[in-house]
Amino acid sequence: MLFPTVDFAVFFLVVFTGSWLLRPHKIAWRWFILASSFVFYGWWDWNYLVLLSLSIGINWFLGLAIFRSLTPEGERTNASRWLVRIAVVVNLGILGYFKYFDFFVSTIADKMRSIGISVDAPILNIILPIGISFFIFQAISYVIDIGRGQWRKPLTILDFAVYLSFFAHLVAGPIVRASEFAPQLDVLPDPRYVRSAEAFMLIFRGMFKKVVISSFLAIQIVDPVFANPNAYGPLAVLLAIYAYAIQIYADFSGYTDIAIGVALLLGIRFPQNFDSPYIALSLQDFWSRWHMTLSRWLRDYLYIPLGGNRGSKAMTYRNLFLVMIIGGLWHGANWTFVVWGAIHGSYLVAERIVKEKWKGHELGLPPLVVKAMQWFLVFNVVCLAWVFFRATSVDEAFTLLGRLFASSGSSTGVSLLLILVIVGSVASQFVPQRFPQKAEVWFATWAPALQIAALAGGLVLVDALGPEGIAPFIYFQF
Amino acid sequence: MPAGLIIVVIVSALCVAGLFDADSTLRKSNAKGDGWRNEIAKTVASVTDTLHINFFRNSIDSALGKNQGTKIDVEELLRRQAEAEIAASAEAAKKVPELPAPTPATPMKIWVGGDSITQTFGISFQRITQSTGIFTPTLDYHVSTGLSRPDYYNWPEHLVKDVLPANPSILVIMFGANDGQNMIGANGKVLERTSEPWMTEYRRRVAATMDLLKSPDNQRITIWCGPPPMGPGSKTRGMDQMSYIYWSEAQSRPWIQYFDTWPFFSDSNFVFSASLPNADGVVRGVRQKDNIHFSIVGGDRLSWAVIDRIGKLVDLSAGKVTPPAGQAPPASLVERTEIPPSMPGAE
Repeated sequence: MLFPTVDFAVFFLVVFTGSWLLRPHKIAWRWFILASSFVFYGWWDWNYLVLLSLSIGINWFLGLAIFRSLTPEGERTNASRWLVRIAVVVNLGILGYFKYFDFFVSTIADKMRSIGISVDAPILNIILPIGISFFIFQAISYVIDIGRGQWRKPLTILDFAVYLSFFAHLVAGPIVRASEFAPQLDVLPDPRYVRSAEAFMLIFRGMFKKVVISSFLAIQIVDPVFANPNAYGPLAVLLAIYAYAIQIYADFSGYTDIAIGVALLLGIRFPQNFDSPYIALSLQDFWSRWHMTLSRWLRDYLYIPLGGNRGSKAMTYRNLFLVMIIGGLWHGANWTFVVWGAIHGSYLVAERIVKEKWKGHELGLPPLVVKAMQWFLVFNVVCLAWVFFRATSVDEAFTLLGRLFASSGSSTGVSLLLILVIVGSVASQFVPQRFPQKAEVWFATWAPALQIAALAGGLVLVDALGPEGIAPFIYFQF
Repeated sequence: MPAGLIIVVIVSALCVAGLFDADSTLRKSNAKGDGWRNEIAKTVASVTDTLHINFFRNSIDSALGKNQGTKIDVEELLRRQAEAEIAASAEAAKKVPELPAPTPATPMKIWVGGDSITQTFGISFQRITQSTGIFTPTLDYHVSTGLSRPDYYNWPEHLVKDVLPANPSILVIMFGANDGQNMIGANGKVLERTSEPWMTEYRRRVAATMDLLKSPDNQRITIWCGPPPMGPGSKTRGMDQMSYIYWSEAQSRPWIQYFDTWPFFSDSNFVFSASLPNADGVVRGVRQKDNIHFSIVGGDRLSWAVIDRIGKLVDLSAGKVTPPAGQAPPASLVERTEIPPSMPGAE
């Protein structure tokens, strides 16, 4: 079930009404939300529910076992350490089977073929269950937090099931931690004060970004150029690269906005996942603004356990690089994602080295010019990495980049409107947060009739400006 | 705002937007069908039409140039074409057209078009045919189109009005990927996709479109490419059944040459395969991540296969039509002589 559809609107109305009616009855409310989340997920394919249920059961059981193996003071024991390892291996095993098995087998088969050994690779053509990477990462965070003694209260199986399957974050995040979500299950929000203005604004903004901006850029330039770069000239290719940067932001942050808004209407607050990432002046800054819940996950469960910046500089650089490579692979089983991670990892390392070497040095340029140069560099490095993220193979990515230096080629798709959308979308990120916040406050003061008119007008506008069908969100595939 | 009032606001806003968007919702619902939801959409659209509430949304659509064509009138187009073709020889159309051999001095006009699958294939085809030195190619693809939704894009009309007047000697056409959706039949009824009435109507449209492509002097060949098998997660339906319709309708029309793409994008059991070896034996990805569209490699592979097929109908010896082994399919791959009505397990 996609968010911007009539199906979801009807589904949500039922859930919203039932949720607020049942909220005072804690157990009934939990069962209702769990059932709703299963309906939402099963809408794609009921078979997925088996996997989700297994994941809930296994991780809840392991979480409990880990908790019981800790000392009464919450200190780790050998048993708890082993159980955490088992839990991580089981989760990564599930993820690996669904996401990486075919990639692994075909890569080995290719390598063997290259040395003259012909093998019939057992490719299974496994269909990746929607959102598996998100709920598996949430499950891993839960068992590790218990194992570290940070989460001193294992959830009941019902609470854990609601946490892992909650429909608003189930298929594309944000990656919410149990420590952020579970306490909200016990709090009884006041039904008289629902943060509707903030939620409506988030939902409308998300729909506009996804249905209008993302779809327009995909259809107008991104899909045609990435499908066959050889036919296009440098201008079209350059604009397609920039357009993809905007498309993926509009698509993913649009989904997140809707997810946060929907959860907010039910009285649940999710962590922020995007904070104007394209205004970043360094790549480190970019990662504190882009897919923030994944960055946080990678930092806490990968970078710090690897040693973080506690060892030598070389080890810190290694850790940074490794985290970005693994972060790339999290997105999918393809060398393109490895290259994407490598670009980010290398640049993050380079950034640290340059910062240390240049500490105290002045360029002699006005600060604004320096900032503009930093922004330009970071934005273009991010866009360069997106080329590999979007391409179906590394060869195709290089083909596309090579077309930036072609002497001829079509400019089909290039238009003033396209340029305006790209420039306007980047520029909109520089708008201070206080403006949308003020708009929310202002909207909240409107009479209900006016709010109805504005919301209806917004829906009609989004529908009219968008394409006939709604493409799935890009991040669903991860 | 209190939760109770929020329900009122949401329901009211959805109802108002639903009324304004009734025509758009009906179009989408018609495409998907979905039984009772379609009935509701029809009722709402009928009410808004009576009350002229749809005026606002239709005005926006009109200003944006969207959703203007709503009718497919193939018979009318055929009638008009027939009038312009008084000199047509019925006798000539009974055999496969014999086209003069193209040369670099007298290149042959070739048009390639269809839906988004034709995009990658078409761009490859355009590049490769141009490199042969004996073709003047034109690419004309329109994403999300087919023969199911003339209200969205009217292919027969486009072919008659825009394509045929340019007088291409060969047309290479591919539909199907977007056609596995409900259609509105001649009586205005929604036809459930791939149901028997749907098949009958789709066959009628295919046949009529094929008839449109007949030239008065029997000097035009259309290579009608069937859709390739779709992979897991593609959410397409009926590619095998549509292939059968195209193939069977082409049998009685010598100016239509059906090209069977299926073997070129499947394993030896005719099951979808995303990676396949080319003539040089190297396995490459022939499809995009969506398991629907071709990759560049897939586009090149199909292009050479189609050129090979054209070479069996027209003398192409004056051109550079020997494919690089890394781009062409293995020589052992051949089209099926007969297309089955359905393929077990096909998407």
